[in-house]
Amino acid sequence: MFVLSFLLRRLLQGALIILLVTFIIFTLLRVVPGDPARLIVGGMAPDEVVVMKAKELGLDRPIPVQFVSYLGDLVTGDLGTSFVRPKSGASLGGSSFDDATREERAKVLDLILATLPMTLQLAAVALALALLVAVPLGTLGGLYPGRWPDKLALAIGSICVSTPNFWLGIVLTLFLSVKLKLLPAIGYRGFSYTILPAIVLAVEIVPFILRTLTVSVAQVMREDFIQLAPIRGLSRSRTIFSHALGNSAIPLINLLGVQLGMLLGGVLVIEFIFDYPGLGLLTINAVLQRDFPLIQGIAIFISVMFVMINVLVDLIAMTIDPRLEY
Amino acid sequence: MTGPILAVSNLSVDLEREGRSRRVVDDVSFALAPGEVLGLVGEAGSGKSVLARALVRAVSTPLEIAAGKVVFEGKDILSLPPRALSAIRGNRIGFIGANPMGSLDPRLPIGQQIVEKLRCVRPGIGRAEARDKVLDLLARVRIPSPGARFHEAPFQFSGGMMQRVMIVDALVSDPSLVIADNITQPLDVTVAAQIIRLIDGLRQSLDTAFLFISSSLPVVAQIAERTLVMQRGRIVEEGRTAEIAARPRQSYTRALISRIPSIWKDVTAPAAREGEAVLTVDNVMRSYLVRRRGSFNAYNEVKAVRDVSFTVKAGENFGIVGESGCGKSTLTRLLAWLEQPDGGRIAFLGKDLSHLSARSLTEMRRSFQLLLQDPYGSLPSGMPLQRMIEEPLLIHGVGRAEAAKRAQEAMAEVGLDMELADRLPVGLSAGQRQRINIARALVLKPRLLILDETLSALDQVEQAELLDLFNRLQATHGFSYVFISHDLALVRRMCHRIAVMYLGRIVELADNSTLFEQPHHPYTRALLSAMPTLEDNRFPRPRYLLDGEPPSPIDLPLGCSFRSRCPRAQGDCEKTDPPLLALAGGNYAACLHRHEAPHEEEAVHVE
Amino acid sequence: MADIAHENVAPRPAAKRGVTPTRRMLQIAAARTDFRIGLVGFAMLVGLAILLPLVSPVDPIKIAYGSKLLPPFPAEGWKWPYLLGTDQLGRDVLMRCLVGLRYSLLIGITTVVLMFVVGCSLGLYAGFRGGWVDAVIMRLTDAQLSIPMIILAITILGVSRPTVPAIILVLGLSGWPLYARVARSVALGERSRGYVLGERVLGASDLRIMLLFVAPVVLPPIAFVAVLDIARMMIFESILGFLGLGVQPPTPTFGNVIADARKYLLNAWWIATMPGVFMLVSLTCLNLMGSALERARNAVLRGEA
Repeated sequence: MFVLSFLLRRLLQGALIILLVTFIIFTLLRVVPGDPARLIVGGMAPDEVVVMKAKELGLDRPIPVQFVSYLGDLVTGDLGTSFVRPKSGASLGGSSFDDATREERAKVLDLILATLPMTLQLAAVALALALLVAVPLGTLGGLYPGRWPDKLALAIGSICVSTPNFWLGIVLTLFLSVKLKLLPAIGYRGFSYTILPAIVLAVEIVPFILRTLTVSVAQVMREDFIQLAPIRGLSRSRTIFSHALGNSAIPLINLLGVQLGMLLGGVLVIEFIFDYPGLGLLTINAVLQRDFPLIQGIAIFISVMFVMINVLVDLIAMTIDPRLEY
Repeated sequence: MTGPILAVSNLSVDLEREGRSRRVVDDVSFALAPGEVLGLVGEAGSGKSVLARALVRAVSTPLEIAAGKVVFEGKDILSLPPRALSAIRGNRIGFIGANPMGSLDPRLPIGQQIVEKLRCVRPGIGRAEARDKVLDLLARVRIPSPGARFHEAPFQFSGGMMQRVMIVDALVSDPSLVIADNITQPLDVTVAAQIIRLIDGLRQSLDTAFLFISSSLPVVAQIAERTLVMQRGRIVEEGRTAEIAARPRQSYTRALISRIPSIWKDVTAPAAREGEAVLTVDNVMRSYLVRRRGSFNAYNEVKAVRDVSFTVKAGENFGIVGESGCGKSTLTRLLAWLEQPDGGRIAFLGKDLSHLSARSLTEMRRSFQLLLQDPYGSLPSGMPLQRMIEEPLLIHGVGRAEAAKRAQEAMAEVGLDMELADRLPVGLSAGQRQRINIARALVLKPRLLILDETLSALDQVEQAELLDLFNRLQATHGFSYVFISHDLALVRRMCHRIAVMYLGRIVELADNSTLFEQPHHPYTRALLSAMPTLEDNRFPRPRYLLDGEPPSPIDLPLGCSFRSRCPRAQGDCEKTDPPLLALAGGNYAACLHRHEAPHEEEAVHVE
Repeated sequence: MADIAHENVAPRPAAKRGVTPTRRMLQIAAARTDFRIGLVGFAMLVGLAILLPLVSPVDPIKIAYGSKLLPPFPAEGWKWPYLLGTDQLGRDVLMRCLVGLRYSLLIGITTVVLMFVVGCSLGLYAGFRGGWVDAVIMRLTDAQLSIPMIILAITILGVSRPTVPAIILVLGLSGWPLYARVARSVALGERSRGYVLGERVLGASDLRIMLLFVAPVVLPPIAFVAVLDIARMMIFESILGFLGLGVQPPTPTFGNVIADARKYLLNAWWIATMPGVFMLVSLTCLNLMGSALERARNAVLRGEA
């Protein structure tokens, strides 16, 4: 009952957020210069063809009308159709407006769902790597504030956060892939192609986990109930593992929810460098090709994911700490 | 009688800071017999908590045990190997601290945590056995429905109930010694009195020795046979508690005792005075909506202030007392017009505040001022002192030069050195900070000052100085004061008339001497009986102290809200919620059976 | 009388005034080794970036085929004054890095200032007013936080023309929600603090309380952490440049230099690596300073110092 009412509240809030996002993105894309109809038919096309195409796509209607009709489609799960991408997924042609061989355009949702698993795989591997490194180091740093583990955590965190991800990608490709031939780097032909991009992404995530964890562990260790534990007769290892870690996990879990956007931003660039066929690469190409329906669809899709993941994060935090209500 | 269970000899603890070392526990020696309750009294900073931790070898940097022996059951705790130490700590010696709400992991059910502890110190005990043991003890410390509360987390308990849980936690391994470090300090008087009564009962059946540490001699006197007095790390006096209280030998102990305000003995109550009404409060109500836990949009109404009426006259000191949760903080915010009441009327100098325009309200604010409890949070940290005192004048449009002149006058009047004028408040004492607050109120030439626990963060000496200042200001400016406090002794000393609050409502409103000597409401009597005093309590605890805790303000009992704890409750109390009913001499009590008071008085004498 | 006259004349020594928490934070941070290392390193790099292009005869944009693809200093075949070598068009890598750092700093700092000003004013206002104002502003930040900043930025810059003001505006506008959130939560906490209530009782208006009392307490700690964000924004700027959505060539920025140099990675590794090392060093310095300030702030807010 409790969980149900919580879900209901959060999903309603989420729906509001998604509505706002849709509105912002929709308006932005209509306000910025660049005529989609001309883009579709190509620069060479005569003006009447452009006008016809605009009519066909409904782009001649006032923006609010377009928005409402877009929302109507959205509710049925229809994110629209790509301007430039053909259904087969083959490369886009620079073909002219009257090219009869042009295929039917791909559905935005299909494009997203096709690339999503790749990105999820990359994100999961990166997150696992990052947690593997940062959790022990961050915990140690928090347990010994001001001593060497803390300093080490601070130094590693500072260096990692200062490393531009695209540069690290290039350098690692040069050394690990080209010179030492340890790992494959460009494109995707099997799981091993995930590892190098995942390492670069992990380097980006590590400093955030380190910072949050050292601070929250150090803070929990100063709490009365931890200070009292040895006097109550609990051993140090028991105090740390069953009480300190559980309490310091909550800020970390919340951070993962809030920083999801940052994580996705990293994915985007990294996929571009490694030519890794995921959602990020799709996004960049969509932007570079001005494929408005696709950009719009991806932004909305991501904000839906963001809302869902944050609800999930809160549910997890609530099971760890019953004090939290939302 | 066997040998002592705990023998401390020449124990010293040093505090190392920035290369310098200071002795905080200095050559302490004492012994504790099996089953004995030994009191340890000392002011804040006397080193008593450090001593308590040193006894179980739980001091960490920058503190360090410099010398001495702590022999417990024949073994020196300070030289034991870690394994042997862990067999004693938490097992043979229990520990209860001053912060019950922070003593257990806030996420986990309390029962589970106590079972965990018991199985840690006694690996031989099975899960089911440990559970039964905890449940049994939870019942013995009189926690209602222990079976259900076993599964609740600390935040679902009140402070008093949580302190009972911590008593269970200390006693669960059948220790032969329990160290109780300031355990009643954060609690309300009635709750603290209940806890002491509980420990007194338990130790007689369990045969456990207690080291009972407190900063208040009257508190210790209620339970300890013998007492140690500690000053600056040293034990300065030791003896039977009654002996120390009656005939202290050391000057420090004498000073300690002389600072305990007396309630009944040789007290002249400030007599009620007449004057025009400055503040009139009529049937004021305030409730809050709190979203019900685990619901979509259901709200609970918390009635924080219910139907409160009183008047404060010119030149009068009016006291409002009550325990936490009684609604006095809400009432304070209403009186200072930081919040508006949902119902009723607050009128100042005859003008209803809710009818004033924004402009005239700002104008009116000059004449009633609020002094807050926390002297540290109540001053803006980045502003020089004189500028801070000019601030109220600048708000009300007084010119800079004039404001500076009046601020300096005010500083002189409240006793702030002109040296301090362009200093920031960092590093000033609590007393100096409160003087700044007083000066800020004073420059506006108000008629009424509302003092919200203003003195409770100060030590006894500073308190006395400020009370003198208040009296002086009253004599020169003719102020009225409203003292809002939990401290009965302060109210006894200062106030002409006093209102006692319980669950958002005034249950008794009487002049000083009636309230302290012949109170009519059973709750007032319970409050008085719970007061730790060295003199004979007019209202002995076995008869007047209440059990249990106030019901939740969310679902108040029908009829009189006090009836669930009232010794006088009868059938009609379930139907009628009594308003303040008049008594002789302009006093009031909210009790249908208020005239039974004299009979009860007689009954005590007969016993 | 003489005493009073004396008092008015002699200014009191500053030490006796006591220090504000903000000053205390700065003092603690300044005493830390990591802060000092960061400060010295950062000051040197910034000084170099500002001064060297002014005095050096080497032009970072001019193409000189005669000196193309020279390796950096210790390697065989390097030539004065090209300490870090030259690129495929014979341009000095060091000079291009320094000019890149200039742009990076310019964009990073202005962006953060913009974010800080917009975010903190909205957040403070929301937290202090509460009610529907708060609800509206907070839902807006939620919405904006749920679109990854970088997607928003490349969308806008991708479909419009990337100029320096456009980049600053886009990065700044997509970064304000975090500041709004932090400022709001702090303002909410301050709202019930004694000094605010005290001012209310004295009759002060909300605006006066906010500007005169709440902002000076609340903003400096947030500003300290904003130093970390300068580094973050510099990285964002370089990412935009890398994707071709930043400041356009021939103006060198870290991003577009590295993007260009990818093609020559195998035979002239330094063209891509050197700007990266440059960035890494300057950002590490900045981050060291930022995290030292953050820790000092935490220590003061916890009441340990």
